[in-house]
Amino acid sequence: MKSNEEFAVVGKSKPRIDAREKVTGKLKYIADMDYGDTLHAKVLRSPYPHARIKRIDTSKAAALPGVVAVLTAKDVPGRNGFGAIVPDQPVLCGDKVRFVGDGVALVAAVDEKTAIRALDLIKVDYEVLPAVFSPVEALSGNAPKVHDSGNLITTSRVEKGDIESGFREADVILERTYELPFLEHAYLEPDVAVAYRGDDGTVTVEAPMQAPFTTRRNVAPVLGLPINKVRCIVTPLGGGFGGKEDSPVDTAVRVALLAWHTGKRVRLEYSREEIMLSTCKRHPMIIRAKIGAKKDGTFVAFEGTIYNEQGAYASLGPVLPPAGGVHAHAVVMLPGPYQIPNIKVEGYLVYTNHPYGGAMRGFGAPQSNFAHESLVDELADLLNMDPFELRRKNCFELGSKTATGQVIDQSIGLKETLDESRKLFQWERRKPTADPAKTGLQNKATGLGMAIGWYRTSIGTTFDGTGVNLHLLEDGSVIIYQGLVEMGQGMHTGISQIAAEALGVNLENVRVVAPDTDSAPESGPTVGSRCTTLMGNAILLAAQQIKEPLMQSASELLETPVERLVAREGFIFDKEKPEIKMELKEAARRSMGMGRRLMGQGWYTPPKPTLDPRTGQGNPYFVYTYATQMVEVEVDTKTGEVELKKIVGSFDIGKAINPQLLEGQIEGGIAMGVGYALMEKVILEEGIIKNLGLKDYLIPTAKDMPEIVSSIVEEPNVHGPFGAKGIGEMPNIPTPAAINNAIVNAIGSRIYKVPIDSESVWNAMHSPKPKGR
Amino acid sequence: MKEQTVRFKVNGNKIALEVEANELLVDVLRERLGLTGTKVGCREGECGTCSIIMNGRLVAACLIPIMKAEGADIVTIEGLEKNGDLHVVQQMFIEHGAIQCGFCTPAMVLAGKALLDRTPNPTHAEIREAISGILCRCTGYQKIIEAIDSAAKAQGRR
Repeated sequence: MKSNEEFAVVGKSKPRIDAREKVTGKLKYIADMDYGDTLHAKVLRSPYPHARIKRIDTSKAAALPGVVAVLTAKDVPGRNGFGAIVPDQPVLCGDKVRFVGDGVALVAAVDEKTAIRALDLIKVDYEVLPAVFSPVEALSGNAPKVHDSGNLITTSRVEKGDIESGFREADVILERTYELPFLEHAYLEPDVAVAYRGDDGTVTVEAPMQAPFTTRRNVAPVLGLPINKVRCIVTPLGGGFGGKEDSPVDTAVRVALLAWHTGKRVRLEYSREEIMLSTCKRHPMIIRAKIGAKKDGTFVAFEGTIYNEQGAYASLGPVLPPAGGVHAHAVVMLPGPYQIPNIKVEGYLVYTNHPYGGAMRGFGAPQSNFAHESLVDELADLLNMDPFELRRKNCFELGSKTATGQVIDQSIGLKETLDESRKLFQWERRKPTADPAKTGLQNKATGLGMAIGWYRTSIGTTFDGTGVNLHLLEDGSVIIYQGLVEMGQGMHTGISQIAAEALGVNLENVRVVAPDTDSAPESGPTVGSRCTTLMGNAILLAAQQIKEPLMQSASELLETPVERLVAREGFIFDKEKPEIKMELKEAARRSMGMGRRLMGQGWYTPPKPTLDPRTGQGNPYFVYTYATQMVEVEVDTKTGEVELKKIVGSFDIGKAINPQLLEGQIEGGIAMGVGYALMEKVILEEGIIKNLGLKDYLIPTAKDMPEIVSSIVEEPNVHGPFGAKGIGEMPNIPTPAAINNAIVNAIGSRIYKVPIDSESVWNAMHSPKPKGR
Repeated sequence: MKEQTVRFKVNGNKIALEVEANELLVDVLRERLGLTGTKVGCREGECGTCSIIMNGRLVAACLIPIMKAEGADIVTIEGLEKNGDLHVVQQMFIEHGAIQCGFCTPAMVLAGKALLDRTPNPTHAEIREAISGILCRCTGYQKIIEAIDSAAKAQGRR
């Protein structure tokens, strides 16, 4: 791989291109924009988790002065359903409601107050139906059916070797069950969408959306329009984390429906409570995991079962062939980044009458990671081994075979992340897990814990194309038209750096046009830690199409063979005689004058996934990112309160295109993992969320976070631009298990659920230990 | 509701407005004065993205009835840039990469400024305390803390 000195722009911590707009408060999010004369919309939502709609009377609401439209299911001109994978969620429920918060009617009025008053005037007669709130119960034969198709959405499996003989070979076998709750994304910017009709028969929706093409693909059939009549404009995102892949589809289909009926500009805003009530969450899972090992620590068998609760609607849960969707990913990731000859994992994705699971940073992997990393840690105790050594002995290295039989044949720096973390954290300080009888004697107990993890780059589906139109203009400036979204991660800065490097211009001469489906080629969604890698490759392909004619012009003008010319930082020069040079902008101007093409279209699709869903064998994803995290905690043994003292993380990301932005992803991801580990949970009782709002659903503040030390390992990815692979989701994946393992090291008792609040720590300290076998 | 007149200063400019007593400062700033750098994330004082400096103290503007602002001296994010020059806290946010989605950034910058105005050399614990009323879901706070720390040091060098 090239060293950073050979690059002009890539590998440098350039300030993000939108920094000044953001730090001055000038950047306008959708709520800051003035749309002029606009109607205000509200959604009437179901108060019941499961009920049949017998009758809806909207007459009083429609008669209220100031109300412009009241719509129900019968007013949907096209398909009354939306969803990122399967359109099973009604735009407006016609026959029945499936969770508390399901949309039943829409109102548009001259102001928000009138719209809210109108909601109260809509009368809905419900027949309350029995509801089901657990994936295990939902699978039993007599459970209420959430959808007519039945509650089991899909079963995914991975099978390798012979699990029975594998466990027969084991000297030690450990089996445990882990439980993880629904989580809220808690992006700070609330969802707002604005829609309007054009005189040309188009409908435009503006919203902060991670997946404008997914939104367009849903709005068109709902309105009965061809896709080219729907335009989605992405407004700046105040955070997304996977949630805004889904929620803007929800707001867009509804607000577009109102714009379609009224012919007016309509604005739909969800309050914080409404977002928490009605939009997607992280999937809750119950995971049973069993591992078998030899006395020397060699893993011989792994078996797992996942009960994955989808909730009322499919969202991003189901399998998008062959390995897309949250569920398939959780199943594939469950055995962890370990070489194990005999593996069987089965996962059931199940409807219930709860809110629904969607994409959230890590996409099923954090749940699986909590299970395998808590399990492996407990196994180390049983074997009397250092959990570091046990992991290092069994983890992936070059040539390892995964659970799906995929050979890890490149870009594998997991052991390097282990060794880096060990050094930075001084792991050797760790003492064997405490004897619980003794920890009770100390007021404060210190614990050190760790976890490793892996995460794919991109989404594992046969359709995974990413397009870009790249233009070099006559003054040497560059414009990028593409559809992947800046949501804080710094992706537009990263791809600008790649474009600048590839074309040989300075970063400040590159501009990324805000994604708009009317100008951007299909780029896929901004998800799956795919953007820098896939869009980076598309840009390199496009840049090549520009470079050829550009360098041809320079060659003619400088009278130098083209193969000796290099473009860098705004100049084109002879690499053997650097004094022979010209400004790149001059070459661009002259090229244009000669009628040469200075535009490129890049279309990149990663190596095709080959997973066979029947056998669970094949390559689900084309490359993985790896990480190690180590955590130091102090537990107050009188109260069970946990204080984080330090977190160290090391990440193999192939190539850091912008190290500072990368660190930002690491630190922010770890903070999200801290919330998952210690404080976050959507509390549900009989289908009703008890902690709506940020007062009762707590996320980490600055006072909850410890010092984070991170390090970057670069094992280049042959399929990535400059060797890069994905980072966005990796950092929050190992954090909950690493924290759990540190707490265990302090108190000597195991915990199998998140969030680990002080009560659960205290309870673990005062309950009998489960036995391994 | 009866209209009343409220008078206060925003970013050094004297303002007099006819308002209804139940209006909130955040809405007046955003909708009447166009100062949309002050954000709305929850309307219950929990997220802190509407934080502004009022009489030298950082407050959540979504919790302030407009008449409480009578006679106040208010600074919003729009008041920090002077003649095209960024405030040192803003400069350090850029330099340290303390910005991601940007939604909490104006509030965080103001929290840093309010802290440094009364505590020129804060400890990391004091910085954490000063920004703890503002949620950030993106950064993990570390780079924000480093940026404010560097701003303090840069101010000290002047």
